[in-house]
Amino acid sequence: MTARVLDRESGRSEQKWGRRSLWSLLLLVPLALAIEAYDSVKALLSDDDLFPRRVAWGETARFGGSDWKLTDLRGAFGMSNLPPDSVPVLADFQVKIGNPDLQNLWLGCRIMLIDKDGRRWSPTSIVSLKTTDNVQTCISAIFSGAKSGDTLNLRETFLVPKEATKTIQPAVGVASERPHFLLFQLEKD
Amino acid sequence: MTRKLANIILLFVAVSLCYGLQVSKPRYGDLIGPIPSRGRLGDTVVGRSFEVRVEKVKFAHNLKVDRFGEAKILTTGGVWAVVTVEFAARAQSMTVAVASWRGPTGLTYDQTERLSFTDGLLPVAVDPGLPKKARLIFEMRPAEASNANLLISEKLMSALDSQAEISLGPVATGSDGLPAGTVEMLDMTQPI
Amino acid sequence: MLENAGSRLKAWLMAGIGTAAAIAVAGVMGAFGARHEPVPVLAPASRIETGQWLLRPLKAYVTAEKNVYGAPLKSGGKALVLELEMTNRTAKSTKDYFEVLQPNPAIIDPATKPFIVLTRDSTLSPELHPGMPERMAYIWQLSDGAAPPASLDLTIIHKTYKQRDNLYGLPGWFNPTPIGVLMLPVGSGPDTADIQP
Repeated sequence: MTARVLDRESGRSEQKWGRRSLWSLLLLVPLALAIEAYDSVKALLSDDDLFPRRVAWGETARFGGSDWKLTDLRGAFGMSNLPPDSVPVLADFQVKIGNPDLQNLWLGCRIMLIDKDGRRWSPTSIVSLKTTDNVQTCISAIFSGAKSGDTLNLRETFLVPKEATKTIQPAVGVASERPHFLLFQLEKD
Repeated sequence: MTRKLANIILLFVAVSLCYGLQVSKPRYGDLIGPIPSRGRLGDTVVGRSFEVRVEKVKFAHNLKVDRFGEAKILTTGGVWAVVTVEFAARAQSMTVAVASWRGPTGLTYDQTERLSFTDGLLPVAVDPGLPKKARLIFEMRPAEASNANLLISEKLMSALDSQAEISLGPVATGSDGLPAGTVEMLDMTQPI
Repeated sequence: MLENAGSRLKAWLMAGIGTAAAIAVAGVMGAFGARHEPVPVLAPASRIETGQWLLRPLKAYVTAEKNVYGAPLKSGGKALVLELEMTNRTAKSTKDYFEVLQPNPAIIDPATKPFIVLTRDSTLSPELHPGMPERMAYIWQLSDGAAPPASLDLTIIHKTYKQRDNLYGLPGWFNPTPIGVLMLPVGSGPDTADIQP
């Protein structure tokens, strides 16, 4: 007699827990997916320069442990042996080193030009303009052994079609800051 | 009796269904392989990161190249094919590094490694808005010249990335078994 | 009760005998698989098929010349050169020829990797293309003061095609196994005549 009552009781509580378990799946399945995908999403985001952090003309911005400032952006007109309607563009930066661990912080350093349509130019190897000794590229700066407090002059050369020169803006991305990157506004903006 | 028969039929259906699933399952290699974007000679073929258009294909017995300032003649046991293409980058600067020639029998001839990239060979860096011409140079058996496909991709392991697959169409064969119009010498020192 | 114990014992015995039989069969098969058959000696004038390659040995010689097909050799030393015709039997351009020929370690230190050169224009280890025979030279730098060998003994390595490998499911050439030994007389210079079939 008592056994039967107990049976019925436990049956009811079992049913209740069964229902609770089913409902909890609604929460648990998406949660499991999110946890599983977390690393992949993180890897995907940290591989690309997605979200611009705008820097006004003449301002410095803290990026990858150092202070970045765009000092100049100009075209080098009148060169021969170039594809028609193309212009070499020089972008100059002044970087005051904060954290000197550049080999980690500046890993995958990418300087580029972005135009109004979102097209991106990487530095070119076609044009090589003479530079003074104290001008480096982003990659060579990583191995320069610069100390905290040093100021580096970086210059990259690009080859850009003439029609794009009006709207290009320089940008800088490093692996330690991705998916964010610096987008420098120009004087006229 | 009918019940037993029905069970046996059900078993067969289940077995054949499972077998069908097994044989039709795409292999890992197919799943992560390159994604083809197809076209013909003269078409602009659009991939994920680049566009390519084949302008012309020329065949030759020998190539004249410049090696460290010295003119050099490259011979071949088959025939040289020199493909002139124009690349354009889409959203960002990129590099086209890999091309191969797939003959009508499926034999795949990678771009020759006997020339250097100074001769206009891949890899070629392309910037948006600045289309660039390049030469793709292959050596192959003469029988592989006609009805070939040109495969061009950004990287060697172009898993899940686009690969231009350009059909080059028929090429008439001359009396010597070589493609008609095969010239004695093509000068690779000339600009493209 | 007793009957129950008996049937249980019977089941244990059966299982034991089955396991023992399976182990015995596997052991015998393994022993057959591991049996080393002596690799055959190949005739120098023969065409040798190694899966990916069709090889036709042409000549072997020792030379003191500095510029052997443009290979970056140390000056003053001698080099052992093997010339042979190689044809790519696969459907793809490949340069998987670095392990096809393994010289007898008594003649050439296994750590010495050869320069492999296309003799046509001295290109260092280019890809070879399907169905196109090319004359290639394997050039081993001999250690200083080593007497030039009278005969070059090579083990020829064969690879097997797999439609799908176990890791990526992609086609490839695997399982290198020796298929024969080739003994070539070593001539005294680049003028050594080719072996005629």
